[in-house]
Amino acid sequence: MSPFRSFRLAVRFALREMRGGLSGFFVFLACIALGVAAIGGVNSVARSIAAGVADQGQVLLGGDMRFELNQREATPQERVFLSGLGLVSESAGMRSMARLPDGSDQALVELKAVDGAYPLYGALETDPALPKVALFASRDGVFGAAAQDLLLERLGLKLGDRLKLGDAEYELRARIVSEPDSLSDGFGFAPRLMVSLDGLKASGLVQPGSLVEHVYKLRLPVATSDAGIEAAKQSAAEQFPEAGWSVRTRAAAAPALSANIERFSQFLTLVGLTALVVGGVGVANAVRAYLDGKRAVIATFKSLGASGGFVFAVYLTQILLIAGMAIVAGLALGALMPFAADRALRSLVPLPAEGGIYPGALALAALFGLLVTLAFAILPLGRARDVAAAALFREAGFESRGLPGLRYLAGAAAIALALAALAVLTAEDRRLATIFVVAALSSFVVLRVVAFVVQWLARRAPRIRSTVLRLAVGNIHRPGALTASVVLSLGLGLTLLVTLAQIDGNLRREISGSLSERAPNFFFVDIQGAEVDAFSALIAREAPQGVLAKVPMLRGRIMALNGVPAEKAKVAADGAWVLRGDRGLTYDAQKPANATLTQGTWWPADYAGEPLVSFSAEEGEALGLKLGDTVTVNVLGRNVTAKVANFRQVQWETMGINFVMVFSPNTFAGAPHAWLATLADKASTTADDARLLNAVTRAFPTVTAVRVKDALDVVNRLIGQLGTAIRAAAAVALVSSVLVLAGALAAGNRARIRDAVVLKTLGATRRTLMAAFALEYALLGLATAVFALAAGSAAAWFVTARVMKLPAHVEPEVALATLVAALIVTVGVGLAGTWRVLGHKAAPVLREL
Amino acid sequence: MKDAAIALHDVSLTLGEGASAVKVLDSVSLEVAAGEAVGIVGPSGSGKSTLLMVLAGLERIDSGTIRIAGQSLVGKSEDWIASFRGRNIGIVFQSFHLIPNMTALENVAVPLELAGHADPFGLAAAELSAVGLAGRLTHYPGELSGGEQQRVAIARALAPAPHILIADEPTGNLDQATGAQVADLLFAKAAERGTTLVLVTHDPALAARCGRQVAMRSGRIVEDAAPARLASA
Repeated sequence: MSPFRSFRLAVRFALREMRGGLSGFFVFLACIALGVAAIGGVNSVARSIAAGVADQGQVLLGGDMRFELNQREATPQERVFLSGLGLVSESAGMRSMARLPDGSDQALVELKAVDGAYPLYGALETDPALPKVALFASRDGVFGAAAQDLLLERLGLKLGDRLKLGDAEYELRARIVSEPDSLSDGFGFAPRLMVSLDGLKASGLVQPGSLVEHVYKLRLPVATSDAGIEAAKQSAAEQFPEAGWSVRTRAAAAPALSANIERFSQFLTLVGLTALVVGGVGVANAVRAYLDGKRAVIATFKSLGASGGFVFAVYLTQILLIAGMAIVAGLALGALMPFAADRALRSLVPLPAEGGIYPGALALAALFGLLVTLAFAILPLGRARDVAAAALFREAGFESRGLPGLRYLAGAAAIALALAALAVLTAEDRRLATIFVVAALSSFVVLRVVAFVVQWLARRAPRIRSTVLRLAVGNIHRPGALTASVVLSLGLGLTLLVTLAQIDGNLRREISGSLSERAPNFFFVDIQGAEVDAFSALIAREAPQGVLAKVPMLRGRIMALNGVPAEKAKVAADGAWVLRGDRGLTYDAQKPANATLTQGTWWPADYAGEPLVSFSAEEGEALGLKLGDTVTVNVLGRNVTAKVANFRQVQWETMGINFVMVFSPNTFAGAPHAWLATLADKASTTADDARLLNAVTRAFPTVTAVRVKDALDVVNRLIGQLGTAIRAAAAVALVSSVLVLAGALAAGNRARIRDAVVLKTLGATRRTLMAAFALEYALLGLATAVFALAAGSAAAWFVTARVMKLPAHVEPEVALATLVAALIVTVGVGLAGTWRVLGHKAAPVLREL
Repeated sequence: MKDAAIALHDVSLTLGEGASAVKVLDSVSLEVAAGEAVGIVGPSGSGKSTLLMVLAGLERIDSGTIRIAGQSLVGKSEDWIASFRGRNIGIVFQSFHLIPNMTALENVAVPLELAGHADPFGLAAAELSAVGLAGRLTHYPGELSGGEQQRVAIARALAPAPHILIADEPTGNLDQATGAQVADLLFAKAAERGTTLVLVTHDPALAARCGRQVAMRSGRIVEDAAPARLASA
């Protein structure tokens, strides 16, 4: 028979065989569907957000192009250039302190001042809906403002009330409902307050050296292509090489957001893959149990002339058909997720998401589902292929012994390798994906060893008096015991959850615990040079126990390393952030008190030679810098090149005043700049902080104060939300584990029924048997929990201490929760099935024995 | 014997290894002419079932020669033997071993489909009619009585027009009356088609219906004669 005809016949036989229904495949179907839905859904949502960002690029960016300058406005020549490209909308952004007119309270705000052309794309939605002139224009000497609800709540304001910014007073005329380009302005700690450019000028906040971002958004002619935009960008760089502006285009409207979405979705994909791989154990169990029940049929087929290969093809076809059903179900769920996410995310953050079907994401999920099915089904299929037809003549039955043939082991290994390769090649961070793959594979091996060790220990346990305990321990190591199934199915999901919970716990402990203890109470920015002494005196009065540190501060960006333009420099991945966007810069004649030099020397206090720079040691290494190399920075529209004089150890986690680059004082001589200060006062209370904040804002209305605890609260909240999302994703893996566990325990019930009937015949009560089973499951759950805690904590330690470089602890609540969860799951799921077993009538079973 | 349907010469087979090795067939030689009906008798463990497995190509011999329908089975691959078996050897089991998810018609059609027959279902229907089950074509094994199931099994075994029909305790799971009916059918169909029948049974009456009886003990053929001679031995 030709291979094609043989295949057609195999499909026909497979379909006939499926008339028996799909009982026994529920776990198989559920696990594959869950894993495929998780991977397909996560990737579809990520692509929907990416599509949203791409399609709404103009709206998100606020234009076709965005030019940003720090601490200075565009020069007349630069303005002429920009106007020549298209319609320009100018805005300015900064953090500032909004206060009540009577000075009794104040709040940090993200201030944005806009012109009449704003927004170039999209619409600013306010409540009430007012034209911009009515919203912002001066009426009776008072400019208008619009604010987010959070600010109104924080200061107890309502529409029509007034607030002060700097030297000017503003009337709150509307609530901001939706700001079309807020995402492209970056992450904000504080609520938005919007005024006009004229209104900002009136406040007196914009002074030489103030940390203001001047943004120029362009609406280009309609027909301008992406290539035309790139050409314009190139022209800007050529005509104004020292402008130091940061240019973004509509094609990459929110690069940080896009990168974070990509990173997050990759992580969630790996978690979904974990769920799928755990589900693979369920697949293997289901296929093995199914084919065990088909051995007589397989032997019959062989006795009637079917080859081993044909038998393999029949049951492989069946498995693939069932997997296909599960994959389709998973894809359907995954395909719906962008629509659900669009609704859910819109209420939380203004993330653009285009609900739609993303075939690429779904195809990838389907492929993962198929490969996992094959990887885990090949071995039991191989065993089935080798069922001896001769067993039909024997009374010995169809029990298989030993490993499947070498070609099946090789086949399973090859498919597993393909699965691993797919996971790595489709990942954004291949290093992380490789670590994950190796960890997952190792986990399987280790879990198998753990199961073996548990059984070995049970076998070597000393003689136990208690019947119940003896039965339980005996059940752990007898042939056909459930030990390996329980440990393998529950172990991986539980380990993942422990790892994530420990990392999250350590991160939160660091941020809300030791970090907030080490960090200063306040950061003060935009202290003008003339105000420094008066400011210091006020702090000394209001917080006599506090320690005030102050440094001059400018902002600039690295334009070149050793003459090589920053965008062309080849640097390590963990150093790339230094070259992205603007950095805070400072200068100092003396070596900072908290600085430890690792190489080189500090310049003399009266140094007046060529510009020198002290570079952070870790970042310098990531950028490949050495002593004597040059760094070119652009500050206030001028390129300055400095030579690396030393490298310095920086402890970022102290949240004190730390800079990547500290220059020699002569570098920025004459450049207008403000000062940055920190205040650390461990003895102060919340009331003291509030009083101090009020005093500073009244005396220095242009100084912006950031209370570190408030900022840490925002970060903590975000991490909490992220942590919840991550743990929800990890819970998918745990659900998969529980399903697999339930399947494994159900498959073991046939033997349980036999054992229970015989034991009951010999005098064992139901109570004794229940207690024995419960104890057996509890012991297995305990062993799995101990492993999950150990492995999960070790993995968490590695990530926390080595990758995040934070102190790592074992979170006791996580340990307790893990133990309790494992025990509840194993005992609960186990006894649910056992109850049915104990109710089984003895006679029919005894007749078969 | 020229053109023997079955020709075994000096066949030996040992199962197990080391201390647990057992010589289940010890220098067995047997020739069966085409169309003969041979009953294999002997106590449990005498090697009867193993002999059947060897004849069906389901067990490989350690030494000796074996030719079925003129074909040597020695040195052939598993797939070749499976294909040969499907076309040349029909097997009827004590426990029927019908495929539970296939109808009677589909069960009988299986060997025909595997052999690539042009009209497997037409021929299968005809075979079922020949054993008196024309009205049960679409019934599943679970819907048939023991006797009906064994008749389906006989139809399945005979459908590919095999040279050899092997029956392992074909009436062992049936009551006396049904067993007698099935035995009648088996012998009648084998004789009708000139199919060589090799039958293993503990039932002396069934063994007596065979034209020749082979008695086995401890893996050896100890007697090979007509039933009357064995009975008087």
